Amino acid sequence: MYRLVAILMVLLVSNVFAHGHQEQHDLGEEANSIKASGKIFHTDGLDVIRKMHPEFLNHKRDKTLREGVRTKEGSLKGCVNCHSTKDKKTNQYHPVNDQDQFCSTCHQQVSVSVDCFSCHRTTPRKGTK
Amino acid sequence: MNIRYEETQGRSLGFYALIAGLGVFILAALGAVLYMEHYGHYVTGMSNRIVWGMPHVFALFLIVAASGALNVASIASVFQKKLYKPLSRLSGLVALALLAGGLMVLVLDLGRPDRLIVAMTEYNFKSIFAWNIILYNGFFVIVAVYLWMMFERRMNKFTSKAGLAAFSWRLILTTGTGSIFGFLVARQAYDAVIMAPMFIIMSFAFGLAFFILILMASYKWTERPLGDAVVNRLGSLLGVFVAAVMYFVAVKHLGNLYLAENAGVENFILFDGGIYTQLFWYGQIILGGLIPMALIYHPALRGNRSTLGLASILILIGGVIQLYIIIVGGQAYPMEMFPGKEILEGYGGIAAYTPSLPEIMLGIGGIAVSLIAVTLLVKFLPFLPESLADEVADPHHKS
Amino acid sequence: MSKTLNRRDFIKTSSATTVGVATIASGITLTSFAVNANENPVTKDKRWGMLVDTNKLTEVEIDGMVSACQQENGWGSEVHSTGDQKPTWVKKLKVQDKATGKITSLPLMCQHCEEPPCVDVCPTNASMKREDGIVLVDKHLCIGCRYCMMACPYDARSFVHEELTDQREHMPRGKGTVESCTLCVHKVDNGESPACVASVNSDAVIFGDLYDPKSNINQTLKKVQSAQIRADLDLNTGVRYSGI
Repeated sequence: MYRLVAILMVLLVSNVFAHGHQEQHDLGEEANSIKASGKIFHTDGLDVIRKMHPEFLNHKRDKTLREGVRTKEGSLKGCVNCHSTKDKKTNQYHPVNDQDQFCSTCHQQVSVSVDCFSCHRTTPRKGTK
Repeated sequence: MNIRYEETQGRSLGFYALIAGLGVFILAALGAVLYMEHYGHYVTGMSNRIVWGMPHVFALFLIVAASGALNVASIASVFQKKLYKPLSRLSGLVALALLAGGLMVLVLDLGRPDRLIVAMTEYNFKSIFAWNIILYNGFFVIVAVYLWMMFERRMNKFTSKAGLAAFSWRLILTTGTGSIFGFLVARQAYDAVIMAPMFIIMSFAFGLAFFILILMASYKWTERPLGDAVVNRLGSLLGVFVAAVMYFVAVKHLGNLYLAENAGVENFILFDGGIYTQLFWYGQIILGGLIPMALIYHPALRGNRSTLGLASILILIGGVIQLYIIIVGGQAYPMEMFPGKEILEGYGGIAAYTPSLPEIMLGIGGIAVSLIAVTLLVKFLPFLPESLADEVADPHHKS
Repeated sequence: MSKTLNRRDFIKTSSATTVGVATIASGITLTSFAVNANENPVTKDKRWGMLVDTNKLTEVEIDGMVSACQQENGWGSEVHSTGDQKPTWVKKLKVQDKATGKITSLPLMCQHCEEPPCVDVCPTNASMKREDGIVLVDKHLCIGCRYCMMACPYDARSFVHEELTDQREHMPRGKGTVESCTLCVHKVDNGESPACVASVNSDAVIFGDLYDPKSNINQTLKKVQSAQIRADLDLNTGVRYSGI
């Protein structure tokens, strides 16, 4: 019995480490090049954007949809445009919510579903005009 | 007169067969929901013209019937009729079960049922739908409290007050349900204040028909005595309610015929609407109205439980048909967008609707949920009097 | 202080420069503002509207308006939806006067009512009207109950019956929610005209601020006879028609 409890404890603790461990995922094409150039896009710090991005997006969505404020700040289009990766063979963008793409890597880990992309476009803009 | 309530045994083969049978329908309904939600509503018969189809027919039928099923309890506690008192607990239970089934169907037909939480947190107080969400939730709470007052001996003295509250609430609730349609100014088929009282009368009839069937079935299957005093009284009441529904239907259609703006849709339903006209006359009026009244009032059939049961079933079938005509028929006929002009192209014409199997399964699943809830709860809580024989239910009954 | 400058002052001070670019030779009226105009919330000082002259507008032009809308907003290429299930943001109607037999063609879309029934009935506030009169569906809140479709007198709303991908970047659309003409709000906020208006090469359809006495639409509505569809409902629509 104690042995089982011990195993369970180890599993639980290792789970915590698994969360702490920051696996280096592909940030997306533009994000990578910004990073390579040494510039910082999320000037408030990565912790802030990691933790607060749902609030930023929700705030922005209400501002834009209901009040017509169309600034670039906090725009979901911006996230998608920067954090998408291209398939090497086909030269097509992967949808940003596909498995192992930018949004999904974290969201899968913490099992929080993303509702944005049931309506929003998942790849950088295709010219409409 | 001392009424003893007792749980049903619920160990017989029949009981498990009933649970299993209803379970199959519920599973089929859940399968249908998964299918419709996975693919989207294109797999249903619904469209942008018939936006509410079969699920709404069943959902509103059950919700309307739910508030009506509470009437038996109200007659006992509000109007102090002793005969109905032993039936009060079951009445409250049937009301809650039917509402739960109806709401399940309504919610699972949403485009985004996963966002139900939004409907609970974002209220637009101008919306009759939003009022209804409050009214439905309130109904659960009030009827639950009412049942508690009935079950708990110390609380018995508050029963009539709780009953009055529940009765008032249910009248408001059905008014709200009827007003979903009554306030749709754009549509000639609906825009009428009479929708609210008509829905109330419909609820009386459908709710009582459900109640009679459940009462007779449960006493038969548990082999408990059920006297004629109770059954005959409920039967005559049902006849009155059906007559009242027919009266309201007549007034509604006559009133509508008088308005030139509504003449088109009235002619459609009453005379040249194909399937809708047939459903109206053969289904709603003859099958769901005239035949049940004959079965209830014909002297040779008085006190006959089989014919009362048949009448109740026909009233329920007629009720589903009536809601189908109101909901689907009302949408099928085009809106009058350009008075004095005829639309040649782009809009107009009778909208086609063929209910798909998943929609029907979802609707029937709602009924199954209501029935399974009743079946299980009478097993676990003492809802049913152990005897409703004449000398128990009505000692002064003269047979 | 320039940030707190309210929109009306801003428009006043910049109107001199914008009027110059407002009217294009073709007769389409564009109201252009500087880029930072949409940093501020829209206000009640404006009411966007459209005037359709059915005597001038040809059937070909109406078809052009429909396809311009499809192109701009990405609807119409649904694969599974059939017949009445397909979304229709704008459609061509042909109506005939019962007495005279006169046939009129017109584009019908969301009429952007001042008192929109769809907004009244929506249980979750998803149907909404912006301060400047544009009626929209907030798809973040839409639960797909379709009550707004029951309430709309113009058959203007569509329910998305199937899963969609590859939406336009500026026009999110998705299965299980209701949608309708947005008056190309994304373009209007950038000072452009709606796609359907821009597609017509004459002054048969004009777009602008109904309240602005200097706007083409305001001045034209003062001159010509115009009507609202189902005016008896007293919804005060933003889309007006002349010639019906």
